[in-house]
Amino acid sequence: MEFDEMKKIWDAQNNQPLYVIDEKALHKRIQAKMNGVRHMASLSELFSIVVNLGSGGLLLVLSRLKLWGNVFLNPAVFLYPAVWNFVTAVYMVVSRIRRIKASRRFDRSIHGDLNHAISLAGYQVRLTRIMYWNVLPSGAIFLFMGWKGWTLIYTSAVILGSFVLAYYLGIKADRYNKLRKRELQVLKEKLESDD
Amino acid sequence: MTEKAQLDILEEWLKLHKGLIFKVVRAYTVADHDDLFQEIIIQVWHSIPTFRQEASVTTWLYRIALNTAIKWTRKEKKYTGAETLDNVEHLLQENRIPMDDRLTWLYGEIYKLDEIDRSVTLLLLEGFSYKEMSAMLGISESNVGVKINRIKKLLIAKSKKYDHHGI
Repeated sequence: MEFDEMKKIWDAQNNQPLYVIDEKALHKRIQAKMNGVRHMASLSELFSIVVNLGSGGLLLVLSRLKLWGNVFLNPAVFLYPAVWNFVTAVYMVVSRIRRIKASRRFDRSIHGDLNHAISLAGYQVRLTRIMYWNVLPSGAIFLFMGWKGWTLIYTSAVILGSFVLAYYLGIKADRYNKLRKRELQVLKEKLESDD
Repeated sequence: MTEKAQLDILEEWLKLHKGLIFKVVRAYTVADHDDLFQEIIIQVWHSIPTFRQEASVTTWLYRIALNTAIKWTRKEKKYTGAETLDNVEHLLQENRIPMDDRLTWLYGEIYKLDEIDRSVTLLLLEGFSYKEMSAMLGISESNVGVKINRIKKLLIAKSKKYDHHGI
């Protein structure tokens, strides 16, 4: 066989696609991705609710105990981050309820499940952002409190380190979630281009 | 560029040039067709904002698809055996329309070549010039010429055996 003949054989394949998409496998894969994203979103919500309620409650108790009277100008300074934590927890509960209600809008077809997965991935991206931006005001208040009492310089350093770490992990999680959302969108494009 | 505009471009490119990506996938993988396909599309998606229309879309897509496939093959060599065929459910199924046996043979021979020679062969069969191949693969035109000469000789010699045995 000469090379020109090989070229003709090669060119002939342009008239028919090499592959077709296996709808059943695609649907299974989309459902697995959707369940994964839903599970992560649910865990993130619960984690955030528990952490915010816990730290809010602890701060509220501390504000009542007045143990730090000599160190801080006003013990009520505990109250602001406590209120912030409670508001965040309530916001998370409302978001969770809205997410569960919204999930009923999607049908169980391939497109429905895929749109649901994309919507969940988008929700997860927003959730992570809220969680890591939320670190800033709480961190700033805590840091301010530590700074006021110079004897607590090491405590301040630990608090600052913890918040920086939490912020860094938040950014990492945000990148991961965005990538996953993008992968789902690409899958959707692939599917739509085949229709 | 907005995400919507990026998606519109991706959708249009996929509609028009999906076959090109299929060819690269077929030439570079035996089992993980859908994973490589998805990886290429993700890389294409990332590349859209940097596409400046200095090259044609086909050239651009080939460049990305081949680079992704070459990296993929190297990674695959490192992690061979991580997944068996039994536990991977494949998204892409080969079309049931019977394929020309000679085309199957040709893909088989291309797959036996090393990563760069595979790219050169695909681009040669697609009708790209030496200059275009050189720019896409980052090797000199003279090197492309040498490789093409060798690949042509090899394929012609192997095709004689194939013709003889009539496989």
